[in-house]
Amino acid sequence: MSHQISFQAIQKLVDKWLEQERPVAAPVRLQDNRVMYQPLTASSQIVSDGFVHAENSIKEFFFPRTEKLYNYKFVGQDVELQDVTVEDAPRMVLFARPCDAASLPILDHVFNWDYKDEFYNRRRRATTVVTLACTEHDTHCFCTSVGLTPDSEQGSDVLLLPLGDGNFEVRMLTEKGKELFRDLVQTSDKTAQIPEGPAKKFDVDEVLQFLEENFDSPFWEEQTLRCLGCAACAYNCPTCHCFDIVDEGNACGGCRVKNWDACQFSMFSLHASGHNPRSIQAQRQRQRIQHKFRIYHEKFGTYLCTGCGNCGRNCPVSLGVLNVVEAIHRRTVKASEKD
Amino acid sequence: MLKQLRQICKELLEEGKVNAVIGYGQDAPGKPAYPIFVTQPADVTQLVWNSHCYNNLAVYLTQKRIRALYPKVAIIVKGCDARAVTVLDKDSQISREDVVVIGMACEGVGEPREPKCNACDVHMPHNVDITVGEVPNPPVTQEQRFAELNAFLKKTPEERMAYWKTELARCVKCYACRQTCPLCYCERCIVDKNRPTCIDTSATLKGNFAWQITRAFHQAARCVGCDECTRVCPAGINLRLLNQSLALAAENCFEFRAGMDAELEPVVGAYSLQDKENFIR
Repeated sequence: MSHQISFQAIQKLVDKWLEQERPVAAPVRLQDNRVMYQPLTASSQIVSDGFVHAENSIKEFFFPRTEKLYNYKFVGQDVELQDVTVEDAPRMVLFARPCDAASLPILDHVFNWDYKDEFYNRRRRATTVVTLACTEHDTHCFCTSVGLTPDSEQGSDVLLLPLGDGNFEVRMLTEKGKELFRDLVQTSDKTAQIPEGPAKKFDVDEVLQFLEENFDSPFWEEQTLRCLGCAACAYNCPTCHCFDIVDEGNACGGCRVKNWDACQFSMFSLHASGHNPRSIQAQRQRQRIQHKFRIYHEKFGTYLCTGCGNCGRNCPVSLGVLNVVEAIHRRTVKASEKD
Repeated sequence: MLKQLRQICKELLEEGKVNAVIGYGQDAPGKPAYPIFVTQPADVTQLVWNSHCYNNLAVYLTQKRIRALYPKVAIIVKGCDARAVTVLDKDSQISREDVVVIGMACEGVGEPREPKCNACDVHMPHNVDITVGEVPNPPVTQEQRFAELNAFLKKTPEERMAYWKTELARCVKCYACRQTCPLCYCERCIVDKNRPTCIDTSATLKGNFAWQITRAFHQAARCVGCDECTRVCPAGINLRLLNQSLALAAENCFEFRAGMDAELEPVVGAYSLQDKENFIR
């Protein structure tokens, strides 16, 4: 016995939410045919198939690209601080990919480690994540290499699996998910075929060992010299979470904001003294891979990568995580052949 | 053509005329080609040339690390990329004698062809040291080159503003546009200046407008239309429209097309004491 729901019923649910001015985000097809997660204005915008992965990730709806922390005003010799309200009305992310949803439990660690990020946590609590299992994958996908599958449930409140007839099998995974879908689903004897994922492309343990042993290896520059140092990888990655805090204002006052930042920018690690511990791009690329597979894992016991492939999909020079990690694999194989 | 290209690169490396060839590699047919740096004559077999060679490799000519590793390079360019090399030369950003420019006869990139290729009049690159291949270079009218922009300009100002508000709302300031641009070579970009901050770093509509408009203006009469910024934008923002509107202004006001003629002085980078404006004297 399973549960199912039609696409129309989901659209109706979205319409109801939008009428109540509750934010809903879902994959939307843009003019140039690319698909991106966007805040919806109408349920007709939702696309549920015909694409592998949105160009961006869902992290923006939990950890926005720019977020006001507080306002400040100069009053005489004093500075007056004003709190900002965190939007925490109920909201929904619809048709997230399992590799996007899986990023949430990963991000929970870093936003609740030494400091509990109230902004992130409130949004996280307010958001119901309705995930859609994958039926297709492309050359960039590698979820199966980092322990996930096209129907992974991590981070989702509800997992939908396409039945192929316009309906979805519904797996209600959390209380939040049950509350939202309980009255909408119908019992059914149909179950979705578990979709096949991409073939496993590398062994994480092998990568980890390489990272531990090859910090100063010429490998990094050989493989990553072409990196142009933008943040197309990091900003479309569901797990990259670095930010910068800046003041924006004038002589009267302004606001302190938290903005996305990325380790591939040359200024990311530039010290006030002028010294830059990561002075060349290869060191920044090394940092990216080290953080994803070694540092985060050592600290929190989980990899900072869900294998969504967005880094490779968006890289101007085809240098995603997978390209680097596959190069590590080739190098390791070559080294073992020599022995 | 590819055979000839590889032979040329092999000889340049063997004779020690260059330390590296900046060209295109590809993992498998049909996949996007990507930039590679070939330093050994035997490795020229890694070089490819086909309609997947999108990148404008001129971006690497100003990178400090590339210069330190490879003081003398050969670079493989398409017609649009060659224009960027010419601008870099005119802007005194490269020592032209340290660069061997290998121009490829180009029938356009992308499947289907990229918009920039549809009205291209530099299928045969200008101002190069070696040319490989030959393709017809039919004349293209100004109307054809600016067809997309002219259609856009037929919209009302309100419609255009609404368009840009929707489009720029998606900009996350990943700066892929800047980093892929061979002519965005400023040591410290204005958006990275924080004492004081000139442009909001926040990816808000205000910050995004400020950034994209500033960048477009800084590229006025310098942008060569290689369109890498638009191709790589993860948010799919058509930056070509901004660049083209300034390119059109440069053509109409100064009869100048960046990087087309190595003899012409740049519009923004040159001055004359005979200039009618006082501020320049």
